[in-house]
Amino acid sequence: MRNDYQTYNCKILKVEKETADSSTFTLSLPYKGFNFVCGQYVMVSLPGFGEAAISISSDMNDRKAFQLTVREVGVLTSAMHNLKKGGILGVRGPYGRSFPVSQAKGRNILIVVGGCGIPPIRPVILDAVKNPQKYKKVYIFYGSKNEDTLFFKREYSRWRKVCDLNIALEKPKTKKFNKGMVTALFDLKNIPSDAIAYICGPPIMYKFVIEKILKQGFDPNKIFMSLERHMDCGLGVCQHCAVGPYYVCKDGPVFSYEELKNFKTWLSPI
Amino acid sequence: MNKSKLNQFIIYLLENNFVIAPQYDSEGFLHLNKLENPKDFALVSKLPLDSWKWHMLPPDQKMFEYKGNKMQEVLPQIKSQVFLGVSILDLQALTLLNQVFEKDPYYQKIKKKTIIIGTSSVPEENFYQFFEKFEEHKLEHLQFDVFLAVQKTGYKIFTGSEDGQRLLDKFGHKDYQHIEYAGPIREEGLDAQMVAIKDAMQNNHQQKIWDDLGARCIQCGKCTIACPVCFCFRIYDQSDLVKGTGRRSRCWDSCFYNEFTQVAGPAPKEPKHRFINTAAERIYFWYEHHFVRTPQSFSIPGCVGCGRCTQVCPANIDIKQTIQDILKNKKTKNAQ
Repeated sequence: MRNDYQTYNCKILKVEKETADSSTFTLSLPYKGFNFVCGQYVMVSLPGFGEAAISISSDMNDRKAFQLTVREVGVLTSAMHNLKKGGILGVRGPYGRSFPVSQAKGRNILIVVGGCGIPPIRPVILDAVKNPQKYKKVYIFYGSKNEDTLFFKREYSRWRKVCDLNIALEKPKTKKFNKGMVTALFDLKNIPSDAIAYICGPPIMYKFVIEKILKQGFDPNKIFMSLERHMDCGLGVCQHCAVGPYYVCKDGPVFSYEELKNFKTWLSPI
Repeated sequence: MNKSKLNQFIIYLLENNFVIAPQYDSEGFLHLNKLENPKDFALVSKLPLDSWKWHMLPPDQKMFEYKGNKMQEVLPQIKSQVFLGVSILDLQALTLLNQVFEKDPYYQKIKKKTIIIGTSSVPEENFYQFFEKFEEHKLEHLQFDVFLAVQKTGYKIFTGSEDGQRLLDKFGHKDYQHIEYAGPIREEGLDAQMVAIKDAMQNNHQQKIWDDLGARCIQCGKCTIACPVCFCFRIYDQSDLVKGTGRRSRCWDSCFYNEFTQVAGPAPKEPKHRFINTAAERIYFWYEHHFVRTPQSFSIPGCVGCGRCTQVCPANIDIKQTIQDILKNKKTKNAQ
């Protein structure tokens, strides 16, 4: 019988520092035919340190390697940061429902991300950069603390060729970026309301962003967000990630606002 | 099958199997234990305090052994075991677990080594009213190997699997009726009470019920241990003393514990983020699992009405009362 908990070893091909406490790990494929869609995640494992669900942050079209962008926040992610090129990480997956990438074809996309929320959405940005004709216009609203906490800085000039990248910093050190929360960007830019919205960020961000987006006249069916939850199995069994009738690991992590709006438990329970 | 033949059958089972059966302890409590003597088997309408999940889904189970980066699967090594005297409520629970862990190699390995012998004895008080009383036609919706329907004199024997038939044939008892498992859902459709509770919980949220329960619940998690269908688990690694070796295991978890929904971050020393924080939220999450998520995923009730949670609750939270409250409020709302 197939054991869904069996991990596959991936070799670390490259480690790139993103911020003071986060890095992007480029990994060899866990098995032949491994592929994923933006928003999906893998269970990453280090023997002795356990497992954690981590979204894939690389180009969906890359068939040779994949990337995980990880912040040092817990036991496993700290241990990961001690690994170097040539090290081994265990992986199982990919799991979960992705952002509806094919639905966005030929349409405007609004990406709203905060803090660590950008890595799970980067695959669609890289897809747009690689296939400029695929989407109509890609707007990125990215909120972060300051210049030092921004991810993927080395890629912004490439992104800007195709995407309208807007950054808001809570406590900027320079005058290069807008000051404020990510929601402040809605007052600076008019987004066509036929756009499809992809959102990912800390739990507190959703409420305020959704409010802004709904005000712009977005269809709740066209607003998609990725939820972070504690996950042990990734298979919809262990119950840790349950939100109302859903399992974030299996039914999500990406949900439409339409699916979540009728019960309050997705933001805070009850 | 008469009583003395049943006795012979149990002796036969004890010869080659690890037999687990309800037995009274010295203090008069009914527990599941290894059966040594057939006369200790308590075939009574009362339910044992422990549920069968202890033996089907062990509280702590090794999944892998690792050496360096190599994860080696470790499946449970068990000899053939017999669950003797599983009440229909507990059969219902095992039938649900069989579905939840259908693709789980650890559970399936134990299941394969287990012979389940059910009985028709039902407790007088049935908390969920699923099995109002035993009726033969309901058997086709339960998974078992052998079933003893208690009659005035002796037992009517049914089989529910080839393993069960083989066992009886080998023992030399030919007088049985075979029941083909027809899936967990009855012909008349979904369980009406299950549908009503799910609907009330999803469409008529009554915050007062949960606030009241939250004020009483001390979050000890006893209900989750006692419940025959609470199966939450967490996976953890344990290093051995030899460097680079250890094991990955899973153990029961409880949604009443603080860390259940905790995610790492925002930074190692900052407070961890939890998505469920209060007693009211936790007890709601527990009810949501049993009465919303399980029906949604498997179309069968996530509560078998055994009442073990009520029995063990130190705060006297009565599941039957809570269900009545959920449904009562619904009626009031509809009437308005």
